[in-house]
Amino acid sequence: MRVAIAEDGVLLREGLSRLLGEAGFDVVAQCGDADELMLKVRSYPLDVAIVDIRLPPTHSDEGLRAALEIRASHPSVGVLVLSQYVELGLAMKLLADSAEGVGYLLKDRISDVNDFVSSVRRVADGGSALDPIIVSTLVSRQRDDDPLTDLTPRERDVLVLMAEGSSNQGIADKLVITTRAVEKYVSTIFAKLGLPSTGTESRRVLAVLAFLRA
Amino acid sequence: MASAASASVANAGAERAPPRSTVVEAVAAAGLVAGGISFTLALRSDEVAGQLGEPLVVAMLSVLLTLSYVLCGLVAWSRRPASRFGPLMIAAGFTNFFGTLVWSHYAVPFTVGQALDFVTPVVFLHVFLAFPNGRVRERSVRLLLVAAYTTAIGLELVRMHFGEFGPHNLIEQDVNPGVAESVRKVQLTLISVYCLLGIGVLVARRLRGGRPLRRSLSLLVDAFGVGLLMLAFLFLSAAYGGPWVAQIRWATFVTLSLAPMVFLIGLLQARLARSALTGLVVELRTDLSPSDLRDALARTLRDPSLELAYWLPQFDTYADVEGRPLDLVTLGRGRATTLIDRQGVRVAALLHDPSLGDEPELLAAATAAAGIALENARLQAELRAGLEELRGSRARVIAAGQKERKRLERDLHDGAQQRLIALSLELNMLEQQLAAEPAAQARLDQARQEIALSLAELRAVAHGIHPAVLSGHGLHVALESMVARAPVPVHLLVDVDDRLEEPLEVAAYYVVSESIANIGKHAHASSATVDVRHTDGHVVVEIVDNGVGGADTEGGTGLRGLADRVEALGGRLRVWTPAGGGTRVKAEIPCA
Repeated sequence: MRVAIAEDGVLLREGLSRLLGEAGFDVVAQCGDADELMLKVRSYPLDVAIVDIRLPPTHSDEGLRAALEIRASHPSVGVLVLSQYVELGLAMKLLADSAEGVGYLLKDRISDVNDFVSSVRRVADGGSALDPIIVSTLVSRQRDDDPLTDLTPRERDVLVLMAEGSSNQGIADKLVITTRAVEKYVSTIFAKLGLPSTGTESRRVLAVLAFLRA
Repeated sequence: MASAASASVANAGAERAPPRSTVVEAVAAAGLVAGGISFTLALRSDEVAGQLGEPLVVAMLSVLLTLSYVLCGLVAWSRRPASRFGPLMIAAGFTNFFGTLVWSHYAVPFTVGQALDFVTPVVFLHVFLAFPNGRVRERSVRLLLVAAYTTAIGLELVRMHFGEFGPHNLIEQDVNPGVAESVRKVQLTLISVYCLLGIGVLVARRLRGGRPLRRSLSLLVDAFGVGLLMLAFLFLSAAYGGPWVAQIRWATFVTLSLAPMVFLIGLLQARLARSALTGLVVELRTDLSPSDLRDALARTLRDPSLELAYWLPQFDTYADVEGRPLDLVTLGRGRATTLIDRQGVRVAALLHDPSLGDEPELLAAATAAAGIALENARLQAELRAGLEELRGSRARVIAAGQKERKRLERDLHDGAQQRLIALSLELNMLEQQLAAEPAAQARLDQARQEIALSLAELRAVAHGIHPAVLSGHGLHVALESMVARAPVPVHLLVDVDDRLEEPLEVAAYYVVSESIANIGKHAHASSATVDVRHTDGHVVVEIVDNGVGGADTEGGTGLRGLADRVEALGGRLRVWTPAGGGTRVKAEIPCA
């Protein structure tokens, strides 16, 4: 899998590149700013771009703009945005149209190498990866009339993992249950929340997020 | 009280002495003699009886015209010796007299009178265009006057050369009535055009001035305009054989002599203004607010364009009553400035119509009467300017603090946070290499947990120092997360442009965050709304909850700090918190 990294902190850029290399990725570009990244995205066939949200020159929203541009102009390239703060509003901007091939994670997640590498793979494959903080913010949000109270604790766990972008297999592995059991949980949750069932896992992410945000 | 104040008129050249009384008397006597001569000539002239109509009417009107200009010119000269307007009016009066010599039966005076016949209307044009100081500054107007004088004298001499003026014409050479008649038509038409152009100049000047004229002045300028219009009409009528030329001539004489009359009325009003002064004193005795002082003075001095500039020594500038600095140089363009001192200390400057310089006693009396009120207003202006200065410095202090916070947050982001993440990553990779040593792996994993906790804490600290998402992505994105984490369900409405100015975004952000924190701590509310909108030049931030109300708005630094931020940007923060009625916080911050 071919990956490009845009991160202005040298320490992290090197670390990321090393861990992805060891995990079997082909790191084709290491960029210090968004312009360089866009140049590489246009020049090389890529599976996924990992983008720091804060990039030079102003360290404000250059990274986010680059990520949105890649999603618009190179839909086949997965985009994983990394940040030292995760914000619901930004997640919504990134996932405005679809949850396919997009991820938004706290930088801290890098150090859980296995989890991180599987998130990168998932995004490169067209799936999604949403930081647990975002999902827990949404799940624990105060509501006038909270429909989530109808869910059992196990169903809640499955809902959270679904929202983070996990596949049925991923959920099964995490919760140490069978995929058949996961499928059952998923259909119960959709029924309880009154959501129409959707086809792909990334569409499922969008449906769950939209529900949680409403 | 009145004796403590003094006013000095800062008019350039105002020091020139008025004409001596012997000069005034001599000119007045000459004017009377001239009037007498015109009167006699008119009654005895065949031409007057034949062509101009009633000799007695014409005689009286000629005398009226001569005397009104000479006498009013004398008054103007005495009042404003620095101005050339008075002497110019006197000259116009005597020119009119020389013009009437055309009714003489002797060759020399007749020839002089005839040659000057059309100079008279041009001199009137000159007077009207040279108001108020007797000088013409605009190049185009000077050219107009030169052309008018040339046409009046030059073409008249040409006509006299070709005859048609009877036996007393000394210049007559080869008689040719046809040529003379054509030249006359051209001459009359041209002078009419000059008069109409003169009206144009008056209108243009008035439009350009922009400021309202004192009433006596606007009447005077109107009189000038009507006079010129009558002249143009008279000459066109004479050139192209219009009816009632004699009657139009009478009406023109009357109109032209009106201008000095209006001028005199203006001067007479100066006397009447003493009664307005009494009104001012009465007004001052009531509680006249500093902002109404200007209006009261403007009424008393009958100058709607009047402006007051208060002297603020500590800022080394003049300012309006609100303490806003004024530039006296630009403001005083085309106006006179009177400086007002009290007990030797500068209080204010009065910017007024230059014509007020004719009434120095009135000006001095009015400013003296208003002395204490002016001093009060000056103090208010000084106070306001001081407050404004304070607001500015508070805004600068807050901005400097904000800048420092941003820098700290950047340092944390680029330094400690990045190093900790890299360290944690290093530990994890080490952990994977130690698959054979579970004990070491467990300890490394524990170390990583510690780092994760530190990172979470550091993130909270960094966010507390400065919310990076706000400067990176604006108010809407920043509020979205804040509201999602609020202790009660919050309905968020944001209707502003993508990005606002940073100090404004920061202030609005903290107003919302502090209010939501308060709702969690004190309000016992079950829901709240946050509404941020941009309307009518303001960004309005409003947070309303349905809690118990009765919040403590005095104690604690939270609300005070918010008010500081909002007020430093020229806005205001208000809190309604009736017991049992919920709490509503509203910040309004000016924003273009």
